[in-house]
Order: sequence, then structure tokens, then C-alpha cells
Amino acid sequence: MLDTFETLREIIVRKFEKKAEDITLESALESLEIDSLDTFDIIFEAEEKFGIVVSNDEVAIKTVQDVVSLIDRLRAEQGK
Amino acid sequence: MPARRVVVTGAGILSPVGNDRETFFSTLMAGQSGIRRLESAFVDALDTRIAAWIPDFDPLAHMSRSKAGAMDRVTQFAVVASQQAIADAGLDLEMMDRERVGVYLGTGMGGSSSIEEGYVRLYRDNASRLKPFTVLMAMNNAAGSQVALEFGLTGPDLTFCTACSSSAVAIGEAARQIRHGYADVMLAGGSEALLTYGTIKAWEALRTLANEDADNPSASCKPFSADRSGLVLGEGAAMVVLEDMESALARGARIYAEIIGYGSSNDSSHITQPSVEGQARAMRRALADAGITADQLDYINAHGTGTKLNDVTETAAIKQVCGSAIPVSSTKSMHGHLMGAAGAVEFVACLMALEKQALPPTAHLVQPDPECDLDYIPNIGRENVRVNTVMSNSFAFGGTCGVLIARKP
Repeated sequence: MLDTFETLREIIVRKFEKKAEDITLESALESLEIDSLDTFDIIFEAEEKFGIVVSNDEVAIKTVQDVVSLIDRLRAEQGK
Repeated sequence: MPARRVVVTGAGILSPVGNDRETFFSTLMAGQSGIRRLESAFVDALDTRIAAWIPDFDPLAHMSRSKAGAMDRVTQFAVVASQQAIADAGLDLEMMDRERVGVYLGTGMGGSSSIEEGYVRLYRDNASRLKPFTVLMAMNNAAGSQVALEFGLTGPDLTFCTACSSSAVAIGEAARQIRHGYADVMLAGGSEALLTYGTIKAWEALRTLANEDADNPSASCKPFSADRSGLVLGEGAAMVVLEDMESALARGARIYAEIIGYGSSNDSSHITQPSVEGQARAMRRALADAGITADQLDYINAHGTGTKLNDVTETAAIKQVCGSAIPVSSTKSMHGHLMGAAGAVEFVACLMALEKQALPPTAHLVQPDPECDLDYIPNIGRENVRVNTVMSNSFAFGGTCGVLIARKP
């Protein structure tokens, strides 16, 4: 089974040319220079990778931990 | 405020015949064509497998992966051509009032790769959703807006979408912004990246694309030649830096040319068929705007698409307005038809003609057409000629004509 944080970190590293060690669960997306539009892009990839659907009212997130929690909850709810 | 004089101080270009202005022009002067077989996965499904494409463009050599990933190819071209133009002009934007710097950009099909990629996902792959950047990459104003963002320009920013004359119109209108005091510096030009399966198929359906030359695919575009069979689609971008002449002189800028005339018109006769009157009208307006007579022109860069109809129509229009003595060439014979970027690319050819005192040829003109009887500089460029004033013609589907006249400083 895909590790949520590792997968998310890989997406962020690839898309935004960040160093993996700079990305922790506590990292604020803003501090990684990831804006709300970029977040939609990350969620789009996560949806594909994890086979989940994220609705519009669930995308208010601030940290990497928020994204991981959201994905984990939806994976559990949606059986992915 | 009295009308100000407008000069060109920088040029950037990405084209099928070179990705800097020197290579671009020396390739044209050598009569070498950038038209080649496409290598895309869909090539076997095409009737015409040739295009004027850029084989060696790597966006990551010019920008970060995240930036490149948020831009369609058409926008990447526009940003890189703008970087070149700004560097060429020696503009220090950090030190300038960027509220007085704007960008006018022409494009025909905008972010066609992005829209097509989206449709492929939806209709072929049955995906239920599209990439979040699809709208922002596909919208026609993306290229101009990303140029403004990239360089922090807060002056006027407009996108011109008049098919094949888009970037000629963008340059002419940008010059007016400076002339009438709405801006001091304008980045102006055009970009096009339409070599996608869907777009090429749509052009095929119009029956205007050239047949592939069986012996030499690179010679497939033959403007003004009796054996011409149509245009060859191309991709690329050209951007120029326009400045108020006094400010350019004050900062000691190298001046390529002064833009002295611009004329535009609509044929208002047919959505595709050109009209002698419409083209002549735009040329006359440009000459009147410049305050010169046609006999003062030393060179005309023709629209010269290589279609049966354009080339006889344009020849008749040039003869009506300018007579038969002025050398005319179609550089599309080598760089193809860059659609929304065509006018800007050909304007750069004109700037280089002024700088090098040389006239690029019309390549592949081997069978004279009795209806095309001007001096088209056939096949061999002319060096060491006196080139003081040049005119660049751009005409379009939809009927919008844009004509620019530039003079050596």
C-alpha cells in the first residue's frame, strides 16, 4: 500500500523542485511557496495516485500534515 | 502631448531556423529551410507530415520545472523570447518604472496543446476530471500575462488574436501606445505552438497545407512559384522591445530601427479569401502613417504564404500600391507560417535586413508564375545592398491586415 506522506513528498519534490529533507509533516505549504492553485495541482495528482475523490469543500489546508490527514481519511472512507 | 517617435532596441526569437536573431537571419540568408518531417506520435495519421517545428527547445534551460509545468509551450516560447529581447535591449527592469512598461502579444491558437491534452483525457481516456492548470494554460491571454508576471510589468497588457496577422497588429498597436504616451516601453510580438494532432487535422481540412515535396521535404513551401501548393504550419515566437526614442537615446541604447508606420484594415469580403483592395488599403494606411511614398521602400517582407490565392492577390496589391520595382521576399519559404507569431518573426527578419544591409531570399522559387511577376529575390539572398526602409505585410483568415514600416535610425 502506498505510503501517503512519502507519495505526497515525492509529488512536491518533483513538481516544485524542493529538497525531500525540507518537507516534513509540520511544513506549512506557504513556507514551501505552494499557493492555493498549486495545492489544487497536488490534490489532483493525489486523487489519481490514490484513486480518491476530494470534494471542493475539503481543500482548505495549510500544512503537509493537513494534506496527509485528508488523503488518509478519504482513503479509509472510499476504501482505497 | 506631441506624438513620440518609437524605436526598436531589442529582439528575441525562437524559430524553426534558429533560436537567436543572428542564427535566424544567417540561416535565412543562406536559403536554408527549417521545414522538416514531424516526429510526433500521430504523424502517420496526417496527410501532410511536414511542419516548421523547433527541434531543440528545452524550457528547463530557461526556467524552473514548476514554472514550465504551469505554462503551455506557446507561453514558454513567449517568455523565453521576451527574456532574449530584454537582454538584447540591455534593459534594467529593476531600475525602471515598470508601470510604464507593457506587453502586447499576438497568438492565433493560444494554448492549443493544453486544450487538446484536456480533451484527450476527457473524450478518449474517459477521465472524469482535468488538470487544475488547464484553463490557465489554454487561455489565449496566458502567454502575454505570464510575460507580464515574469518581468513584473504593470503597464498595458493586451492579447491580439487576429489569426495570421496577430503579432503584426500587436507590434503596431504597441507602437501607438508609446507614440501617444500610454507607455514608455513595450514588449511586443507573438507566439504560436499549434502543432498538435487536432490543430493540424483542422488545417488539413481547410485544404491550404502544402503537399510534401517528394525529393526534398524542406522545400515544400514555395511562395510565388508556379508549383506552390500551400502553406506549411510553423511554431515559435518573436518579441521586440519598443521604446520612446528620446528615452532610448538618453540611456544610450543600440537602436535597430524606428517604427514609422502601421496600417490595419479588414478585407470584409470573405472569411478565408484575401482581397487585393483590403491588402492594398492596409499598405496605403501604413505608408500614410509613415508619411512616405512607396518608392522610398527598399524591401517588402511579403505575407507570402505559398497558397495559390494569397500569392497572386498579394502580388496584385503590392503592384497597385508600390509598383513593381521594390524587392519582395517571403521568408515563410524557410521558417514556415508561424500564424500568430508570423508577423513578429518576419518583423525581426526586417530589422535584421536593416542591420545587416542584406535581403533574405524567397527560397524554392524555381517555376516562375506569370501572375507573380515581382522581384521576389529568388533563392539567393542579397548582401551589401542599401536597406533604409522596409515594410512587413501580414494578412489573415478573418481578413485582418497588419502592415508595419520601419526605417534605419
